[in-house]
Amino acid sequence: MTSPLRRAYEENSVLITVGSGGVGKTTVAATLALRAAMEGTASLVCTIDPAKRLANALGLEALGNQVTRIGDPVFARAGLAPRAPMDAMMLDMKRTWDEVIERRAPPDKREKILNNRFYQSLSTALAGSQEYVAMEKLCELRATSSAGLIVLDTPPTAHALDFLDAPNRILDFLDNESAKWLLTPALAAGKFGLKLFNLGGSYVAKTIARFTGTETLQALADFMLHMSGMNEGFRERAHQTRALLEAQSTSFVLVTGPMPDRLDEAVYFHTLLQQNKLRVAAVVVNRVHAPVADSLWAEVARLPPSLQPAFEKTLKENEHLARQDGRGIARLAEACAPTPLVLVPRFEADVHDLASLFETSRYLWGDARLEAAVVAR
Amino acid sequence: MLRSRARRVNVQPLVVAELDDKRLIVVTGKGGVGKTTVSAALGLSSARAGRRTLICEVNTQERISALLGKAPVGPEVTAIDENLWCVNARPQEAMREYALMILKFESIYNAVFENRLVRYFLRFIPSLQELVLLGKILFHLKEKRPDGSPRFDQIIVDAPATGHAITFLSVPQVILDTIPPGAMASEVSWMRDSLVDRATTAVVLVSLPEELPVNETLELHEALSKRVKMHPRVVVLNGFIEHRFSDGLPDGVPPSLKDVARAHEVRAALSGAAKERLASLQLPVLIVPRLYLPEFGKAAIEDVARRLAGAPS
Repeated sequence: MTSPLRRAYEENSVLITVGSGGVGKTTVAATLALRAAMEGTASLVCTIDPAKRLANALGLEALGNQVTRIGDPVFARAGLAPRAPMDAMMLDMKRTWDEVIERRAPPDKREKILNNRFYQSLSTALAGSQEYVAMEKLCELRATSSAGLIVLDTPPTAHALDFLDAPNRILDFLDNESAKWLLTPALAAGKFGLKLFNLGGSYVAKTIARFTGTETLQALADFMLHMSGMNEGFRERAHQTRALLEAQSTSFVLVTGPMPDRLDEAVYFHTLLQQNKLRVAAVVVNRVHAPVADSLWAEVARLPPSLQPAFEKTLKENEHLARQDGRGIARLAEACAPTPLVLVPRFEADVHDLASLFETSRYLWGDARLEAAVVAR
Repeated sequence: MLRSRARRVNVQPLVVAELDDKRLIVVTGKGGVGKTTVSAALGLSSARAGRRTLICEVNTQERISALLGKAPVGPEVTAIDENLWCVNARPQEAMREYALMILKFESIYNAVFENRLVRYFLRFIPSLQELVLLGKILFHLKEKRPDGSPRFDQIIVDAPATGHAITFLSVPQVILDTIPPGAMASEVSWMRDSLVDRATTAVVLVSLPEELPVNETLELHEALSKRVKMHPRVVVLNGFIEHRFSDGLPDGVPPSLKDVARAHEVRAALSGAAKERLASLQLPVLIVPRLYLPEFGKAAIEDVARRLAGAPS
C-alpha cells in the first residue's frame, strides 16, 4: 500500500500543514519538502512561525522574507544528496503586508496607508492578519515559483482555522455594508477627514468616544477611506485563495501529538476541514511512544536480580506511555475515519537537522512503519 | 500580602517563595509544555495556603475545571473549591463587562454596543478583543469585598503560548501607541503599569527538557523582559527525567536492554542539559519530574503542586 503522504506528494502541488502549536508541524512541513527534493521534485517550504523553528530545523541562521535555496554543503553535511533543489522561506508579516499595499493601493494613497497607525496595527496585530498574509503569500508563490511542490506551514493558531476565514475577514473589514453606508457620502464628496457619526446623531458617537476616544474613530475612518479603493483587489485575491485551497492539487496535512488535549484539538480541526470540503491527505501523529516488545520483559527476567528493578521500572514507564498514546490514537482514528493516520515515533533526540528530518520522512513515506500499542478500549 | 500571611494556617504551606507576595501570576511557554497543569497547581497551592485565588483561562477550550474535577465554569467567575475560583475569559462577555464598567448603565450599553454599526467598528479596532480580555482579568485585581479587602489575593493567568502571549501582553503598550489620550488611554496605561510592576506581577515560564522548547523559553524570556518589560521570576522545567543507568551496565546485559537503558539515559541527559541552559536565566528552576499516572486529574495536580513547592515526592 502506498503511504498516504507519498500519494499526496504525487498528486499535489501544494500541501498545507495545520495543527495546534508544539506538535511538530513545522518539522513535518520541512520533512515533506525535503523528501520531495530527495525524490526529484523541486520543493519550497514556507513557514510563518515567529519562533524561527524552521530556521533551526534547517540549520540556517535566518531565512528572511525571501526564498532561500538550501545549499549543497548543508545537505552534504547531513549525508544527503537531493535530486532536485529545495528552497525555504520564513514569512515576515509586516513586509508581506507592505508589499500587498504597494501592489494594490493607488499611488497617491500608499504613503497615507503605510503611515496610518491602524495600518501598522493591522499588519502586525489584527487577529487573522497573520493568516491572511500567509494565504496571500501562498497564492503569490504558487503563481511565481517553479517548485513542483510548495509546503505551507500555517501559524500555530489558537483559533483553529482562522486562515480559512482570513481573506473573507479582510474583505468584511473593507467591504462591509455598514462601512459603505458611512463612507459613501465622503467618497462621493472626494474628501478625507470624514466626520464620522456626524451622520447619525451624536448620541452614539459620544458614547463610543467615551470608550475609545474620538480621534480613534476618526483615524479608523480615514484608514478605511484610504483602503476603500482596494476592495476589488482584495476580493479577487480572496476568490483566488479559496480556489487554491479547494483545488484538486492542494491537500492538507493535519499534524498532532498523541497527548489527550492535542487529540481533542486535532479532531476539531479535522471536522472543520471536512465541513469546508477541504482534502485532508493524512493525520500525522508525531512523537508516538513505541510499544514495549514482550521479549524485553523476558530478557529482564533473566537479568541478575540486582539489575531487574531499574529495567522493570523503565519498561513499565515506557509501556505506560505507549498505552496512553495507543488509547488516544485509537480514538483519533475512529473520529477521523476514513482519513488515514500516519504515526511517527518519538526520537531520542529532537528532530532539528536535515539528517533527522530525513529519518522522519521514512515514516511519512511508508519506508518504515510504527504500530501503536494495542489497547482494550 | 501581610494580611494573607496572618490568615495562613498550613503546617507546610505549598508555596513558591518568588510568587508568594505577587497579586498576578502570568504562566506562559511553548504550546504543549504544561502551562495549564502548572497554572492549576499554582492556583491550588495558593488556595490551600489560605489565599483567595482566581485562575483565569483566556478564551480557550476550558481545561482547568476538568483537571480539578469540576464541571466547566464558562465566562462567569465561579467558586470551585475552598478559596478557589475559576473563569474562562471570553471576548464577547469581557467586552460587555468592560463597557458596562465604563458606561455604568446597561440600557446605554444595549443601545450603543448592540448597534450593528458600532459592533462592526469595535470588531476592527485592532487588539480590542485582547485588550478587553486583559482588562477583565486585571479588573479582578481591583475588585474589593464589602470590608474593603481585595476580592482575590492572587490571580493566576493561564496565558496563551509564546507568540500569542507576547502579542497579548503587549496589547496595552500597542494601544497606547495607537490611541490618543482619553478615557480609554488612562485605563490602558493602568493596565500596562500593573503588568510591568515588579511588585504586583510575576511571570512563570514553563518549559520541557527538549532542545526546541528550551530555545523558545530563552527567547520568550528575552522578549518578555526586554520588549514587554515584564518580570519572569521562576522557570518550571516540566517532565524532568533523572539518570538511572549512569553507573554503566555489566557485560551480561543483552543489547536490546542496553538500548532501553541508553534511551533512558539520553532522555535524562536532555533533562540535565535543559536544566543547565535554563539556569543561564539566573532564575530559580523548579523541577517537575515526568509523572506516570493512569489519569491526569486532581491528584496529579496536587502532586505537581507539591513538586513546585519543592516538597519531596
